[in-house]
Amino acid sequence: MASENSKQFRYDGDNRIHRFLRTALISVVSISMLVMVWWVVSVAVGSPAIPAPPAVWEAFINLMNHGDRILGYTMMDHASISLRRFLFGFAIAFAVAVPLGLLIGYSKILDEFTKPVLELLRPIAPIAWAPILLFITNPTWAPILVVFVGIVFPLLTNTIFGVKKIDRNLIDAARTLGANKMQTFYKVMFPCTVPYIMSGIKIGLGIGWMCIIAAELYTQLDGGIGTFILMHTDMGNWANGFVGIIFISIMGLLTVGLAEYAHRAMVKRMGME
Amino acid sequence: MTEYIRLNNIRKVFKKDDRETVAVDDVSFTIEKGELISILGPSGCGKTTVLRMIAGLVEPTDGEVIVDGVSVREPGPDRGMVFQDFALFPWRSVRKNVEFGLEISKMPKNERKERVDRYLEIVGLTDFADARVHELSGGMKQRVGIARAMVNAPKVILMDEPFGALDAQTRNIMQAGLVEMLGKTDQTIVFVTHSVDEAVFLSDRIVILTKRPGNIKEIVSIETPRPRDRSSAEFTALRKRIHTQLEKEDVMK
Repeated sequence: MASENSKQFRYDGDNRIHRFLRTALISVVSISMLVMVWWVVSVAVGSPAIPAPPAVWEAFINLMNHGDRILGYTMMDHASISLRRFLFGFAIAFAVAVPLGLLIGYSKILDEFTKPVLELLRPIAPIAWAPILLFITNPTWAPILVVFVGIVFPLLTNTIFGVKKIDRNLIDAARTLGANKMQTFYKVMFPCTVPYIMSGIKIGLGIGWMCIIAAELYTQLDGGIGTFILMHTDMGNWANGFVGIIFISIMGLLTVGLAEYAHRAMVKRMGME
Repeated sequence: MTEYIRLNNIRKVFKKDDRETVAVDDVSFTIEKGELISILGPSGCGKTTVLRMIAGLVEPTDGEVIVDGVSVREPGPDRGMVFQDFALFPWRSVRKNVEFGLEISKMPKNERKERVDRYLEIVGLTDFADARVHELSGGMKQRVGIARAMVNAPKVILMDEPFGALDAQTRNIMQAGLVEMLGKTDQTIVFVTHSVDEAVFLSDRIVILTKRPGNIKEIVSIETPRPRDRSSAEFTALRKRIHTQLEKEDVMK
């Protein structure tokens, strides 16, 4: 019966398609289990605040077809408002943290000077600044700035760390090849820190994504997924709130996944694994 | 042959946590143009420090280094350096690594390419010009390091235990390759090593340092033309003599 035996399916770890199918299958089972647990909890608790999966599915279809009729936005509007604010906050954080981090890592005196300040500011949850930021700015800028605060610290810390981890020999090599301070800085020190900056971005994006939702929950105006969730749950549309939560999850997964991929590709391209 | 590099009463004291360590104590010697001179000594004797002072990466506490009539103040492309751990730029290809110094000196692109090609050929890496550093073997990496230093046409190349991180067989191949290269150019080289065999195989002269604080114990001249036969009576006798000298410098005592 050898011929029949050979027709049986055997998992082959070296086969791309097999690996993909395996991952897909495991993911489906794993997510199904989450949905089951959610369902059980929903029934067990018996509160309208935890609707069962079918009700949320129905709400999802309804929202996708008719939009958010309370606030007057489509779901894509809400998602893109949040995403735009998030990216803007990230861009500002990047523009501040990377040059500042390079400088602090490079200059010992600046490091000593900024350290106490950074240590004091770092433990503050970014959302704690939301009331103040909302008062001095507006419902668009406050979430952007909360995201900025959330991303700027991990990115700064990673950049400083990256500069400090530079192999001294590479700097010596550049200097014996005639590079002056400025050339050493942008031809050697900066590329050396790129992998650290990228991992700072990865961490920062995760935190930033949490910040944007929290800030929008607070500001309650001008759209965004966070505002959507708050308004609908306030009015008892719990299923709609859950749709918002699922949106957060999927969009966060995509952003962080993209950053993860970019980090890996960049490190590989730079031969710095 | 004329005096090319001179070390005048070089002394280096490192200070750390209020403790002073004399790494190099009153070292003077001269190097001639086209010469390969080795600095040999027990570990921690300050041989690398001497090399780094010639490079300008370390400033002497006392004394001065003069290269071709000019006192050394800082590193410069006239003193190329080859590092034990290669110190190649991992994000650059082989070609881009070799090109680094020429890029710094703003040499025109076509001239750069020509020159890089020439030195890649000298070290036998023409086929690997576009390879990434992490794809190369240790021996190939160090050939990139040597080409990168040579491409600037330095007055002297300072080699800091350049073959120390390689396996024995590769080390022998690299030494033979260096000897072959020396036959074609009049490149001045200062070569730091702790291997007596390597020093005897390569050098015109060997500066033997004492254990810390490093001082000159003896300077040995070797007249035998390269390439040298390791199994010859002359070679083994000299190697034995230097070994005996170094054994007196037991760092454990």
